[in-house]
Amino acid sequence: MVSRSCLIRWKTRHLGSSIHPAVSFSRSLFASSQVYQTSWVQAVSNAEKVVGFPTSFLSLRSVANDEISNIAVYLKKLIGTGHPLITTAKNLVYSNDKTHQTRGLLVLLMSKAAKRESGQDILPEQRTLAEITELVHTAHLIHTGVINLNTPNANLEMGNKMAVLCGDFFLAHSCVQLATLQNLKVVELIAQAISDYSTAEFIDIIASENDSALDRWSQQMTLRYGSLIAHACQSTLILGNNVELIESGKSFGLEIALAWQANIEIQSFKSNANRADHVLSKLFPETPFVDVVANFQAVRDRHVNAALKILTAFPQNDASLALGNIARALKY
Amino acid sequence: MVVSARITNFLAYSSLTVSRVSHLGNGSLRYQWLLCRNTSLLQLRSKIQTVVPSITSNVSVPKENIPTADALVRPDLEGLYEDIREGLTNTQPELRQIAQYYFNGEGKAIRPVITMCMARAINYHLDQNAPGVIQKQKKIAQIAEMIHTASLVHDDVIDVADSRRSRPSVNILWGQKKSIIAGDFILAMASGMLARLQNQQVIILLSQVLADLVQGEFMQLGARENKDERFAHYSEKTFKKTASLIAYSCQAVSVLSGADSTLQSIAFQYGRQLGMAFQLVDDLLDFIATSAQVGKPVAADLRLGLATAPVLFAAQKFSELNPLIMRRFQEPGDAETAFRLVLRSDGLQRTKELARQYCNDAVTQVAQLTPSPYQQALVTLAHQLLHRMK
Repeated sequence: MVSRSCLIRWKTRHLGSSIHPAVSFSRSLFASSQVYQTSWVQAVSNAEKVVGFPTSFLSLRSVANDEISNIAVYLKKLIGTGHPLITTAKNLVYSNDKTHQTRGLLVLLMSKAAKRESGQDILPEQRTLAEITELVHTAHLIHTGVINLNTPNANLEMGNKMAVLCGDFFLAHSCVQLATLQNLKVVELIAQAISDYSTAEFIDIIASENDSALDRWSQQMTLRYGSLIAHACQSTLILGNNVELIESGKSFGLEIALAWQANIEIQSFKSNANRADHVLSKLFPETPFVDVVANFQAVRDRHVNAALKILTAFPQNDASLALGNIARALKY
Repeated sequence: MVVSARITNFLAYSSLTVSRVSHLGNGSLRYQWLLCRNTSLLQLRSKIQTVVPSITSNVSVPKENIPTADALVRPDLEGLYEDIREGLTNTQPELRQIAQYYFNGEGKAIRPVITMCMARAINYHLDQNAPGVIQKQKKIAQIAEMIHTASLVHDDVIDVADSRRSRPSVNILWGQKKSIIAGDFILAMASGMLARLQNQQVIILLSQVLADLVQGEFMQLGARENKDERFAHYSEKTFKKTASLIAYSCQAVSVLSGADSTLQSIAFQYGRQLGMAFQLVDDLLDFIATSAQVGKPVAADLRLGLATAPVLFAAQKFSELNPLIMRRFQEPGDAETAFRLVLRSDGLQRTKELARQYCNDAVTQVAQLTPSPYQQALVTLAHQLLHRMK
């Protein structure tokens, strides 16, 4: 999002920033709680070593562009306005324990896990796909951070403008990268994922009376997060020509996404001071806190177990073991 | 195949080069557009027997004899907007409503018209009659219109617009957040359609449009410090924001017809030159139209802080415009001053001249196609565009 030199200036200038990182977004990549998910972080860090994963491939390579560095000027004006773009940008720019690019990592692990022979390496197309997955997810985060403004506000309007343009930039870049993969099915799958996360924003899971609260949550999360991870796993297996594992990969992707998201909801629910506003309170009104937590933990564990079961179809290697560790780490 | 597409694009794009000619004497730099064509096209030109109608003459093309492009391709575009809306139905009701909102068929549909006209002209030239081809070309027209509309939705949020085509804009009706997501949805559906055309090269071409559209917006954000670079910056921005979609759509339909790289280049160049002219005429009309209207003294572009061709040309005569351009006409009275100076200068005249040059080149391109009603319609389109300037 910023050029290399702007990046360095940004980092040094805002180390003492007053924006507290503990902002609760139920949709944020990592839980807001002060309690670290150490086993998760551990599992992810170890997994990165398996695939030789560069931790911040996203930020610098794709955006070393003069035009984009104009954004740094505008972003500075947003400090203190509370626009979500600032937090998203911080998460992207700061590369520390909290900001692993886990979706890309899952794609790489899936690519490697499916290799039957030890000599086979992850294909360049599969690495590109991992990057595309992160780009699409980032665009999603940025675009959903656009604020509805009813009254004119120059700074927030600028924030929205930046959010729209940055998101568009990442989406356009994803499309260009997708085209280079020379695989029509993969283009279709990722396009479907973008369509799905868009649709997810229009589902009102609180108001609808039709299905059970849990079904509604699952439906929305499947569209919002599950679709991208599932389709990315499916796509990487297509690219790797691992035909017999494609369906398993897709299912694994969905289960792990739901387990992951369920865990995020639980952690943020437990640590959130204002519980009444949390989505779990709204989904399960008039239910005691401990019961909500217990029920949702059961949901999470079901998805983790389902993911682990699917993994047994894959060859036993470092990558599939790493995937299993990540899944199990969600259960803590 | 991928490599040749890239080379084609590079040749096509670089075949209109900018050359700065230094004016000795008063020491100021003057921009001169040189139209250089790559050699294969030059060779082709010498073989052309067709007489190219002269745009600069006052003789107008008799309207009764030559159908307009619009009329010619109307059967092809029948149901274009219904089809697009159909493709957007399979989703949540509110998202469907927002996504379909701008596809009510009240826009000019200039892009689908150009695309289908080029498709028909190329098909005629290649004697391409397979029904599958024209079906796919119609899809390109749909996809191009969807990409264009998705960018309009995002533009309305970015520009904090309140109306479009005499109706409230999407952001007014549904808020910024949902509008942006709806734009993403339209884009995703267009990409899916693109994939199902089963042509790798076409996907590469049209995804380049997406990158160009975004980069054009970014270019619009940043002003060039050096006034000598400004016109080149403006031209590149104009290509990316306006001409790119038209150029690549034209090339895409030619690819689907089975065109070789030379023919693809003709299609691309026509689309590109026409697209550039289109924007120049728009920029021109922004000045002419408002001076004719009561109660709207200042051009909309100036109010948005944009320095378009008329202003850039005027700044070469009135250097006092340069600081105004740099501060994007933000100070009170800036826009009015700039407007006055543009009208006093030869800025409008030179913009017209440049648009004429682009149209001439577009016509020269399609003159190389086998004569047909469609080929003629492409010529007429360029005529009509220039006519808008009167």
